[in-house]
Amino acid sequence: MTVLVLVEDGEPSQQTLTLARTWSDSLHSVRMDAVTPFAPDAIAAIVQRAADALSAAAVFAAGTDRGNDVMARVAARTGLPFAANCIAATAGEVVEVTRQRWGGSLLEKSLMMTVRPLLTTAPYAFRAAEGFTTIAVDVQRYIDELDPKDLVVRVAEHIDPPGGGVSLAEAKVVVSGGRGVGSKEGFAIIEELAGLLGGRVGCSRVVTSAGWRPHSDQVGQTGTKISPDLYIACGISGATQHMAGCKGAKKILAINADPQAPIMSLADYSVVGDLKEVVPAISAEIRKRR
Amino acid sequence: MSAVALALALLVAFGLFGRQAWRLYRIVRAGKPVARTDDLPARARAEAVVVVGQSKLLQRLGPGLMHAVIFWGFIVLFPTIVIAMIGAVDRHATLPWLGAQGWYALLVDVFAVGVLAGVIAAYAIRLVQRPKRFARSHLGEANLILAWIAGIVISLLLWHSSQIALGLNDFPSQWAPVSSLISSIWHGDWVTALERFAVWAHVLLILGFLVYLPYSKHLHILVAAINVFFTRTERRGRLEPVDFEQPEADVRFGAATSRDLTWKQLLDTMSCTECGRCQDACPAYNTGKELSPKLLIMALRDQVRAQSTAALVPNAITDNVVWDCVTCGACVQECPVGIEHIDHIVDLRRNLVMVESRFPEEAGTMLRDVDRASNPWGKPQADRTAWADGLDVRVLQPGEPPPEVLFWVGCAPAFDERAKQGARSTAKLLKQAGVDFAILGPREACTGDPARRMGDEYTYQRLARQNVETLNQAKVTRIVTTCPHCFNTIGNEYTDFGGRYEVVHHTQFLAELVREGKLEPAAGGRKITYHDSCYLARHNDVLSAPRELASATGQAVEMPRSGRRTFCCGAGGARMWMEERRGRPINEERVREAAATGADTLAVACPFCTVMLDDGVRNTGTKMQVIDLASLLHEAVERRNATGQS
Amino acid sequence: MKILVCVKRVPFTGGKMVLAADSRSLETRHLGFTISPHEECGVEEAVRIIEASGGESVVVTLGPPEAVEQLRDAMALGIDRAIHLQTDGDEWDGEATADAITAAIRAEEASGQFDLIFFGNESADACGFQVGLRVAYALGRPCVTGLKGVKLEGSSVRCEQDTGAGRDVYVVPLPAVVTVKEGLNLPRYPSVPGRMRAARKPVSMQTPARPEQSLNLEELSVPGGPGRQTKLLGHGGAAAPAVVEMLRDIGVA
Repeated sequence: MTVLVLVEDGEPSQQTLTLARTWSDSLHSVRMDAVTPFAPDAIAAIVQRAADALSAAAVFAAGTDRGNDVMARVAARTGLPFAANCIAATAGEVVEVTRQRWGGSLLEKSLMMTVRPLLTTAPYAFRAAEGFTTIAVDVQRYIDELDPKDLVVRVAEHIDPPGGGVSLAEAKVVVSGGRGVGSKEGFAIIEELAGLLGGRVGCSRVVTSAGWRPHSDQVGQTGTKISPDLYIACGISGATQHMAGCKGAKKILAINADPQAPIMSLADYSVVGDLKEVVPAISAEIRKRR
Repeated sequence: MSAVALALALLVAFGLFGRQAWRLYRIVRAGKPVARTDDLPARARAEAVVVVGQSKLLQRLGPGLMHAVIFWGFIVLFPTIVIAMIGAVDRHATLPWLGAQGWYALLVDVFAVGVLAGVIAAYAIRLVQRPKRFARSHLGEANLILAWIAGIVISLLLWHSSQIALGLNDFPSQWAPVSSLISSIWHGDWVTALERFAVWAHVLLILGFLVYLPYSKHLHILVAAINVFFTRTERRGRLEPVDFEQPEADVRFGAATSRDLTWKQLLDTMSCTECGRCQDACPAYNTGKELSPKLLIMALRDQVRAQSTAALVPNAITDNVVWDCVTCGACVQECPVGIEHIDHIVDLRRNLVMVESRFPEEAGTMLRDVDRASNPWGKPQADRTAWADGLDVRVLQPGEPPPEVLFWVGCAPAFDERAKQGARSTAKLLKQAGVDFAILGPREACTGDPARRMGDEYTYQRLARQNVETLNQAKVTRIVTTCPHCFNTIGNEYTDFGGRYEVVHHTQFLAELVREGKLEPAAGGRKITYHDSCYLARHNDVLSAPRELASATGQAVEMPRSGRRTFCCGAGGARMWMEERRGRPINEERVREAAATGADTLAVACPFCTVMLDDGVRNTGTKMQVIDLASLLHEAVERRNATGQS
Repeated sequence: MKILVCVKRVPFTGGKMVLAADSRSLETRHLGFTISPHEECGVEEAVRIIEASGGESVVVTLGPPEAVEQLRDAMALGIDRAIHLQTDGDEWDGEATADAITAAIRAEEASGQFDLIFFGNESADACGFQVGLRVAYALGRPCVTGLKGVKLEGSSVRCEQDTGAGRDVYVVPLPAVVTVKEGLNLPRYPSVPGRMRAARKPVSMQTPARPEQSLNLEELSVPGGPGRQTKLLGHGGAAAPAVVEMLRDIGVA
């Protein structure tokens, strides 16, 4: 039995290989950047043909934006079922998958009726093993035979992020404020602490809806999903929509006036108190010790 | 000859007066409908107390007495207008009977002097004392009117005194000591001319005054009495519901232009005398914000007089002014002429929110959460009972028999950590007193008050109907609540949607339990100052029960602004969900006032006041504990239990 | 310009997920419902485009009878009319959903093609990431996903995709399908006349048959989480030294 894996740079692909390995020792791979600039339909066409040629038992990709996009295109082309953001999938006539819903706040166990399941793996949802060897599929002949209509959707231009610096998704420390911050101006103390820790400012959905911070600062299921070394959540209750974005953090410190707020039991560390008092006190303490 | 002159003068005066009066009448008649003609006895009472008794004006003794004397003088002197007209035509004639009465001559003399003294006092206030409340009022006009009044009274005294000097008086001169005294200086032939001059001057000044009135702010002399008659007589905290059941074109989505105002609101704008008592009491104005209730009404008046069809906001009134209001009602409470400012503010908000979708953006979160999650914090309804963990409070299930009293918890006590304490203490006390009570738990939805005070009447009505249905199905008859906003909404406003319950505030309920001996507190060493919530004290007259509790638990002291003249915490009118970007924080202002009493405890009876004032205490670094009266009572009852056992 | 927006009714969840007794759905008895957040931005964008360039906007949903509330919500924001593909409340997988919507679009397009069709990048609840693309393929139209910028440029549409490190731009010809993400715009608060009018706007109702599913839901579960043990570092400002100690221990300060 052979499986095909669509790979890109980074840990999510390592994790995908880890899951694919439970299916087969024979791992074949197609790179996401086989066609540049990126053209998702072209990659999907290549994956479709490679999978057919290999008689792949399954196709895997990481549940990144591009991974889910390309896999859904493969599904649409072939009429095969596609399960996104899986954390487990067992091979068999009927494939049993466990996949994330609600951005990971809920798990679904489903049975897939198919000859070739299309699966993406939920990023950072389980531990990745190292040292996989895959057989790279020779994609040149598929590229040569691409239908021009598969190149209609293609990156035409790239716009660099304004300001530069590390992005929210890549920051090592993220200090976030929620409803408890109370106002746009209230974020001054959050910015101060983030600055002292060399981190980025984040926020909850309530904050962007209120117009206090831009949506690009939003951590959550419908915002940015982050995986910093430390996440400090100030005045954030910990709604599932928010936790879906920050559960990849290695450590979470929650500061909240309400000891019963959900985040206070989802975090590694907690401080009960008004963030307007606690956050400046932490900043002062950091300064004092320098 | 004189008769012809008088007739001509009357014709011109009434013609000019009538033309403007008719115009104003037509403007008012074109106003949108509002039901204000019920309960005539109560309206007559308001007229007697507020207009005749000058009760609102006398809330400030100095300027109040000044105005009262002038006002009562006008009433007393009214018949002299007719007497003078008769005298102007025939110097030997007078009004039958009254013109010859000694007691009336005395009254006229006394009040003429009184009015003159009032005018002098008014000038002293305006020109020497110059209180802030007159800022941007039309002072020139007021000064002219005062001079005019003085002229009317002086000409009257001149006439009476010259009559006495000439022996033309029909009244016994010894009954008019002031006029008699003045008459002693009139000697010579010219006194005959003086008598003619004085009576004609008096008549013409009065007719001139009549003409000038409807063109000036002193229209209030005529309109105020009418406006007071049509003020709210009951349920002062109630807002008029919008009728959404009619065709869209007929629905009044608040007020976009001056043409959308109700006839009562139009009367309001014509009644304003720019006295500034509203502004003096306004928490927004007094903390440096844009809103002045006085300037708001003046701006509306200008739009009404010009019959403008321009949008009121932002042309005549800025958005900031509309959103600065905490709907505390201090302006309405102070206004001597029955202007109901909150109705104007809410109508402007209704138009901005419901039609323009324009409001401080942070409040949008609250509006969406109230609509979708049924509470302003967007918390799951399933968590509505979390505050009562460990208290063994009965959650009323559908179909179960209703409890004696339903504890309506409210969103703030259910979801806010600090507001929770008051509800927990209340529940413990109710249990201790053996009260049969239950809560609705997840079936309780926001009353809709924050949406309504923001202007989103549509969302409010949906929630109101839903809650009324729940309560009626549960056959609830008596409700106790710790939240004055829920208290006001369910008690005063749900009746409009078929919900009729006896609603009591927890302070009233607990005070009753103390009176009945079911709860026995032992006063402790706390020095307590009680902060009246606007929606309890001012809008609903709940004054004594909280004070009973404060006195029963410690040593109570009053703040300068208390009772019906309390000063808002800053959270009313949905300001709880808006940022206070302008001026100084209202809550800190109030905390400083509380701290000045020397109290160590700031007692509250409202979850919003709890949060706002607690923030104020923290931000100002004041050493004072903000605590709900229920928690104070619970502490005092525990104290008694402890000493009872020892 | 004729635009279609596809939306899904999802519960407004709070701090924790509570499952129904059969573990096959969420306990929604005390939950409010809303349009899935990404799609709400799709609705707003469609309304803005029609406001600017004229034309007609239509909203479609596949869902239970109550999903008409979400159709009304979309129409309250300014969408002209709605198509309700009514189900009995059972969940449909991505493939079946896409097939039903495709059929509805084909029927609708007998009276004029949709220039642009909006989907959310993924639904908030099922997170399937596929309905929009499946519909686009079935219709033979280009599709760009995860957009935070959609701009019409003559007979094509400029699409901006947030990559976390700037934006990728695609330009595709109309008719096209786009899937969008929250952050595309800030949806307006619906006006009351809008909400009242929405109650009178037409909703065409169809009841497609639920086909055999290729992804069959067995059961739902709430993840145990990373199993974090929460350590209370203190109360108020007094906790600051303990916090800084912790920051040093984990090497961020």
